[in-house]
Amino acid sequence: MIFGLFFDYTVTMKLSLSARERIFAAFLVLPCLLFVAIFAFYPILYSFYLSLHRIILSLPGLKQPFIGLANYRELLHDAVALHSLVNTFAFVFASTFFELVFGLIIALIINRHFSGRGIVRAAVLVPWAIPTVVASQMWRFIFNDNYGLLNYLLFGSGVTSYKAWLADPFFAFSAIVVADVWKTSSFAALIILAGLQTIPDELYEAARIDGAGAWNRFRSITLPLIKPALLIALLFRTMDAFRVFDLVFVMTQGGPADSTNVLQFYGYKKIFAEGLMGYGSTISVLVFLVTFSVSLLYIRMIGSRILQEKT
Amino acid sequence: MKRTCLSSSRHRAGIWPVLKGLTVCLVLALALIMPACKKKETAGTTTVRFVTWKPNQPAVWDEIIRTFEAGHPGIRVVRETGPHSSTGFHDLLTQKLKNKSPDVDVFFMDVIWPSEFAAAGWAMPLDSYFPQGERNKFLDGTVLANTYKGHIYGVPVFVDGGMLYYRKDLLEKYGFKPPRTWGEMVSQAKKITSGEAADNVAMEGFSGQFKQYEGLVCDMMEYILSNGGNIVDPDTGQPGIAAKPAVDAVRFVRDQIIGNIAPEGELTYEEPESLALFTQGKAVFLRNWPYAWEVSNDPSRSRVAGKVGIAKLPHFPGGRSYSTLGGWQLAISSYSKHKDAAWTFIKFLTSSRIQKLLAVKAGLAPTRKALYDDGDILKADPQFRSMKDVFLTAYPRPRSPLYPAISNILQRYFSSAISDRNSDIEGEARKASQEMEKIIALTRE
Repeated sequence: MIFGLFFDYTVTMKLSLSARERIFAAFLVLPCLLFVAIFAFYPILYSFYLSLHRIILSLPGLKQPFIGLANYRELLHDAVALHSLVNTFAFVFASTFFELVFGLIIALIINRHFSGRGIVRAAVLVPWAIPTVVASQMWRFIFNDNYGLLNYLLFGSGVTSYKAWLADPFFAFSAIVVADVWKTSSFAALIILAGLQTIPDELYEAARIDGAGAWNRFRSITLPLIKPALLIALLFRTMDAFRVFDLVFVMTQGGPADSTNVLQFYGYKKIFAEGLMGYGSTISVLVFLVTFSVSLLYIRMIGSRILQEKT
Repeated sequence: MKRTCLSSSRHRAGIWPVLKGLTVCLVLALALIMPACKKKETAGTTTVRFVTWKPNQPAVWDEIIRTFEAGHPGIRVVRETGPHSSTGFHDLLTQKLKNKSPDVDVFFMDVIWPSEFAAAGWAMPLDSYFPQGERNKFLDGTVLANTYKGHIYGVPVFVDGGMLYYRKDLLEKYGFKPPRTWGEMVSQAKKITSGEAADNVAMEGFSGQFKQYEGLVCDMMEYILSNGGNIVDPDTGQPGIAAKPAVDAVRFVRDQIIGNIAPEGELTYEEPESLALFTQGKAVFLRNWPYAWEVSNDPSRSRVAGKVGIAKLPHFPGGRSYSTLGGWQLAISSYSKHKDAAWTFIKFLTSSRIQKLLAVKAGLAPTRKALYDDGDILKADPQFRSMKDVFLTAYPRPRSPLYPAISNILQRYFSSAISDRNSDIEGEARKASQEMEKIIALTRE
């Protein structure tokens, strides 16, 4: 009813049809915009607001003075933040790389016709469906030095000293990458599979008739045609990987020797453990800015690709 | 670009699904909000919400709550159980208190939190409930830890102090007395493990808590203090970790403990993992809190029941034994709506009767001085007789409203110093010391 009345009202206002449609469209989008404004823009703006203040929860006597960009200046000189930023980038790079490689392999396999494909497709998604906290706990057990599955597989049960994977800075970091790759490769596979299914079989038939081998068919047909899907998978995975938190929280708490301390975990510690709301928010804003610029970059790339295809 | 013209009827046809969708969303949103609206309490019953951690001995705590409710029909206790780890529990609790949640009445407070919670206004001062005369009945150190700017904010329930557990049978077998210095401990551990290895028994020499977390600070502080060093100098208030005794103690842990008599896996251990190694019979020595006595002597949970001895922690030549003061207090949230009922509950939990129960059944060391002469307790926990001194002199961690920030700096420093054989301990210590100075300066403003 309301919509009808609204529409009639725009008619009586004697606006052009296209203007009326635009107004109507805006009206329909409004609830969604409101939702985004409340749950996305407000927290971001509020974090930014907090980051311009010095707020220390356990020292209310200091009040909460506005200090401009002082928190950001401090962040620039914060060796721990820099270290965790490097860790985060290393994690993003390593995990998205392997996830795309494995995702592509999985997608190619489950795109083929074979008996039991339905079950395999469902099974591939299981890791992705497990909550990260649960998966992290599982991997923590797998990497445990005393009763971990990995040590059992490598050394059997009769050895006195095992490898303590999570006690070594390099292996602890790798362990987190492994857990993430295991968990989210199937997500990348799912998106790439969607891309694969849009490739018409005729292209492969024609290529085969022309005498193209499997590698050439993959390189000249499959790869170019699934590029948009790959880019989308890359976008999602990069942004997600940049915000890694739960794996670190459960598996290592940032240790040993801060080797697995990532930006999100550092910010969390500042806000929740140390009560430094202002400085912690500054770290959150940094995480937001980096993810935002990465996504802008990707969206431009994907957007331009799609436009190219249309012309 | 072409724009398709839609007739008005097509528009309306497109609207109804949207409306339906909106309705569904609204209903869902309401369904989410509704449970938050609280049910009315039955007349005459007050609900006390108790935020606690996952206990090591859940059955004992169940019994205590049941006893309380039976004796106080007007009060119902609802427990909310947080993580076992102190740090995890802190994050959960402060999140609630920061939001002024009325769902917290009574909560557990680690010995390092009272300054922070008092300064932030989260814990209410208990001066009127807990007068000086009553406070005098508790161990001095525990009362001091709960005092901030002359007011008291918590009532200590049990006290913790680091102590050395050892395998009585093995030390006897090799003709050793409990070690008095850290060096002695290392050489005994090496002799015993190599001797046992000859008999095909795989063992580690020592187990402790060396993961990057709060426990690491407790363990490392004991090494540093027992070498005459300091975390924060009590006279000047300045950090002491870059001074020679402190640096030497840290180097000892890196070179003589980790990867020598303790497995590298120790760098990932908190209390439960380090205790498990000991109760499985795979470690000669263990540094842990008093609760480990109960667990390691329980035949259903331990393979070494009856073979466990305890002693003061060793020290370095020329130093003396130190034990980090731990333990838990009960406090009332400033935002509680049932403060009197909350106090009734705290008074009950910290009474002689319950502390005795906790000592006998859960091995938790009482905070009331008089209980250290109680026959029943000493029969159940003969270790308390020799540990009383340890508890009386247990050393507190730096008391500061910003202790969590100080602790995070220390955790980072200790973890990097001991997990890398080639770490530049002096350099790292200086850096950590400067970071600490910055934090300490903030509290002086």
